[in-house]
Amino acid sequence: MALLEVRDLHVAYGKIEAVKGISFEVEQGQVVTLIGTNGAGKTTTLRTISGLLRPAAGRIMFDGKTIQNTPAHQIVSMGLAHSPEGRHIFPRMTIEENLLLGAYLRKDAAGIAEDVSNAYSMFPILGERRSQAAGTLSGGEQQMLAMARALMCRPRLLMLDEPSMGLSPIMMKQIMDTITQLKSSGTTILLVEQNAQAALSLADQGHVLEVGRIALSGRGADLLHDEQVRKTYLGEE
Amino acid sequence: MADKVPEWGSASQPRQPDTLSAQPQRNAAVSPALAKALIGLGALATIASTFLAWTWTTSFPGDLSVTGYPGGNQVITLVVGVLLLVALGTAYGLPGLRWLAPRGHVRLLRGLALAGAVSTWYILLAVAIELNGIANWVTGSWVALTATALPVAGAFLLADDRHEAARPPAALPRWAQTVIILAAIISAMFIADYGITTSFTEEFIGFALAVGLAAWGLNSSGVLARLTELNARNRVATSAAAFAAALLFVFLQTSDQYNTIADDILIFATVALGLNIVVGLAGLLDLGYVAFLGVGAYSAALVSGAASSRFAHTALPFWAQILIGVGVSIIAGVIIGAPTLRLRGDYLAIVTLGFGEIFRIVVNNLNGVSGPSLTNGPEGVYGVPDLSLFGYDFGKPHVLFGVTFGKFGNYYLLLLVAMAIVVFIYARVNESRLGRAWVAIREDETAAEAMGIHGYRFKLLAFALGASLAGFAGTINAHLLNTVTPDQYMFSASSPPNSAFLLAAVVLGGMGTISGPLLGASLLYLVPAKFEFFQNKQLLLFGLALILMMRFRPEGLVPNKRRQLEFHEEEVAEAEAHAVAEADASEAEAVA
Amino acid sequence: MTTTVFLQLVTNGIAQGAMYGLIAVGYTMVYGIIQLINFAHGEFFMFGGFGALAVYLWIPPVQHLPLLAALPIMLVGGMIASVVIAVLAERFAYRPLRNAPRLAPLITAIGVSILLQQLVFLWYPQPGGGKVQVGVNAPVQFPTFAGKPFHLGGVLIQRANLLTVIVAFLCMAYLAYFVAKTRTGRAMQATAQDPDTARLMGINTDKVIVVAFVLGAAFAAVASITYGLRFGQVSYDMGFSAGLKAFTAAVLGGIGNIYGAMVGGLVLGIAEQVTTGVLANYHATQQWGTAWQDVWAFLLLIIVLLVRPQGLLGERVADRA
Repeated sequence: MALLEVRDLHVAYGKIEAVKGISFEVEQGQVVTLIGTNGAGKTTTLRTISGLLRPAAGRIMFDGKTIQNTPAHQIVSMGLAHSPEGRHIFPRMTIEENLLLGAYLRKDAAGIAEDVSNAYSMFPILGERRSQAAGTLSGGEQQMLAMARALMCRPRLLMLDEPSMGLSPIMMKQIMDTITQLKSSGTTILLVEQNAQAALSLADQGHVLEVGRIALSGRGADLLHDEQVRKTYLGEE
Repeated sequence: MADKVPEWGSASQPRQPDTLSAQPQRNAAVSPALAKALIGLGALATIASTFLAWTWTTSFPGDLSVTGYPGGNQVITLVVGVLLLVALGTAYGLPGLRWLAPRGHVRLLRGLALAGAVSTWYILLAVAIELNGIANWVTGSWVALTATALPVAGAFLLADDRHEAARPPAALPRWAQTVIILAAIISAMFIADYGITTSFTEEFIGFALAVGLAAWGLNSSGVLARLTELNARNRVATSAAAFAAALLFVFLQTSDQYNTIADDILIFATVALGLNIVVGLAGLLDLGYVAFLGVGAYSAALVSGAASSRFAHTALPFWAQILIGVGVSIIAGVIIGAPTLRLRGDYLAIVTLGFGEIFRIVVNNLNGVSGPSLTNGPEGVYGVPDLSLFGYDFGKPHVLFGVTFGKFGNYYLLLLVAMAIVVFIYARVNESRLGRAWVAIREDETAAEAMGIHGYRFKLLAFALGASLAGFAGTINAHLLNTVTPDQYMFSASSPPNSAFLLAAVVLGGMGTISGPLLGASLLYLVPAKFEFFQNKQLLLFGLALILMMRFRPEGLVPNKRRQLEFHEEEVAEAEAHAVAEADASEAEAVA
Repeated sequence: MTTTVFLQLVTNGIAQGAMYGLIAVGYTMVYGIIQLINFAHGEFFMFGGFGALAVYLWIPPVQHLPLLAALPIMLVGGMIASVVIAVLAERFAYRPLRNAPRLAPLITAIGVSILLQQLVFLWYPQPGGGKVQVGVNAPVQFPTFAGKPFHLGGVLIQRANLLTVIVAFLCMAYLAYFVAKTRTGRAMQATAQDPDTARLMGINTDKVIVVAFVLGAAFAAVASITYGLRFGQVSYDMGFSAGLKAFTAAVLGGIGNIYGAMVGGLVLGIAEQVTTGVLANYHATQQWGTAWQDVWAFLLLIIVLLVRPQGLLGERVADRA
């Protein structure tokens, strides 16, 4: 059974339907990516899975349980972490406080402390600035914080929305390397990206979204070599 | 270009079958013919019953003891009975009458049947209770009881035929449209007149029950929507008819007694309309609006030549008083608005609330003891002379066209003109570039600014315009009441106009419409004035009404189409915000 | 004007300002989290005083205790009254409108405010048992300290004023601890900064909002009792002007900033007392004194909005509008 299963999901803003019946699965230990242009419905899909939006129709199953009507804060407690688009760190709190909020639902003080130091060893820059207000970090550092924060709840599924957005090429590479690291440590990841090249090269499975529908699905490597995908998303003629 | 709606999203959505018209036929056991016959018989019997006595004594107010012609509340029952017969015509598909029920006649019949029954039963019940026993009923009472029950039974035996409004029929000839508008407005005026002139609580309750239920029927049969549409298409004819009907009111009055009520309602409604520009069009919550009425009233009173005024020897002509009243109100409005309107909207609410309170304190203090002598403190400026325009003294009775106009009748005419001016300004502004700019700012100030609309300037303009209209009404109010005191202008008080009531009138009636605040003001004035029970609890009930209104019908009794959309599709805003966020994201990406 | 007189004014201002600050905390917390000016907060404040008074009047043994011993019991009564009202208002009036256009909850808040005021007014004993006279301002007596004021140099310190400052300090210390150190406090900060992301952390934001209302109402109840002790009375309409002042204090300190609320309250209280006191002290300006106190407070609000709309300590509201 897949860890996450999305069946015929429809999401509407008022009368405008942004997601028009998409279905996909994420297996335990896999990295699955959703790629597509602006307005394709990628972010809407993630926000619906994590409970910030309510679907108009369809089903979302996480670990065998139906969650499309579960409040967002309870979905987190089931082990589904969502690092939102635009990072959304808490700007007036320190880096450490941000990390602790990521572990908001956990009660094991020792485990939390351990994970905090893990985060600092994964991103040393965060450790150096742990008591600095998070709003003072650079974009790439904020992205690191957002990912580290999402990992603090020891998620069974990590959803990353546009982690490379607005970053310099160097930063972008560093973030992608981190995701590769997470993958090799066995973390299940649902990745939304506009940088299709990077996303597809590390994904087990990829889905191409076009105006609210899945236009194309396949193994990451296959999609990477698909002529249509190369033309539309990788800018090749 | 109206049908070029963006298509994306609609493609995968097959058109929903019309669930309303596809409802299974209920109550098929009784043949519709029988049910209709029941209604017809009941309506005729209802009409007949109003010519009988409903009790033997005259001790119940309104005299229901006469046989031969209808008296007291029997008039209401009679009118409803006649309307029922007309509505039955739509059920039989009589030519011309089908126009009355575009969305189905059954609801119309149900509403009218209930109106007749509930209001009649209420009166009969009141007779039994107040005169101690059913023994006070006579044959006519029983006839009325049964007769009004029959149409209810009939109407509820008919299967509900509610459906989407059929496409409007071929446009009626212009004269017919005008006749219909005139008839509708004059009927509305007669209804309002009846409400204002009811002389005892039971009469008003019976009236309110009948009107409320009948309005429900008319609304769900779709005829109200059709009338609204007709009115909107014939703006000039409607305005003229409304003005004529309002004029007719004063000619119908035999004494000045009810003109005072009408005057109060007119002042209240005029100020509410002014507030509606600020709240309904520009979306600025002004909680101290009545203070601007006060500013206008004080300004006018001080230079009116009143003996108690600081400037007792200054008696400026009325036009100059208006100029001063309006001018001072605008200055006050700009002083309050300029620092606050740059900030988030909520600040305005609290600052205007403060201003309303400060105004009262200031005029209380400017009494020569705790401040310079200007306003005569709590006693206020009294002895403000009645107006005299072109040799027409508003304080003295006049005979016009064979009808005697007392003081309040005179002022009624003036207030009607004032209201017409405010309505005119409201309508012009609403349709102008200015009005569209306000709507844009109200809905999304950031987007409006991006389109080159200077939000601050437009908001200040709305605020100042609102202040000036209240100031204008205040100048008249000073003369009408002959006195101006601080406690007439409070945030909340037991009688209108005060800021809480004004806001309630706008919200209850419908923000952003003309008829809404008029209806809201009339209801908010009449209901407490006519219900003794309400007198000490009216503020309590208004508080409750505000909460319930916002929860269940935030668009008010007369909804503005655009507003209704805004209140019920908040998701749209979310979608827009989301689109903006996505756009930002792509921009950021482009930069990187 | 002597230094002693001036210090006396400042002393009185601090007590008055501490009370404003306690009320302002409630405005600022709720505003910081859901961007709603809770007009009914002044009425939560009023309910606190009546709740405390009800305990005092209806549980006879309390009346026989020394006032200082009775106060904690009265405080419980006052807090229960205002917290219950606040929770009910949040649940049934404000929460259903969470996604409505901004005007809707504002108007609802006014409705709640009027309703609560009138609910208390219904219980007013009417002179002669006749009809309720709407608009009659009939204060109800509140117990006061019997002892003499303390002397510090030439400055008189009323017992109630001293108590006000002490409890305000304790309350603020607790709040600072709560917000910075407790789990719920951090959840509250997170919700104020970014409610959607807070939900992604597993924070039940609906609960956090209720906590903000509860804390605000509890502080208002404390303020209300100090009001009763200082002025010897409470009245059904005392929430209107106190609420207006407290909101001014919240804006003054920077809305959304809980420390700002107290700072704003103190500044407003001192400014109010000193301005009116100084004006009343000189013959030429005498008449501009006490009667104009509210006017000066209002002018201060207008000036702050003109020159420093973000408040003295800076506002802490995420600009999501």
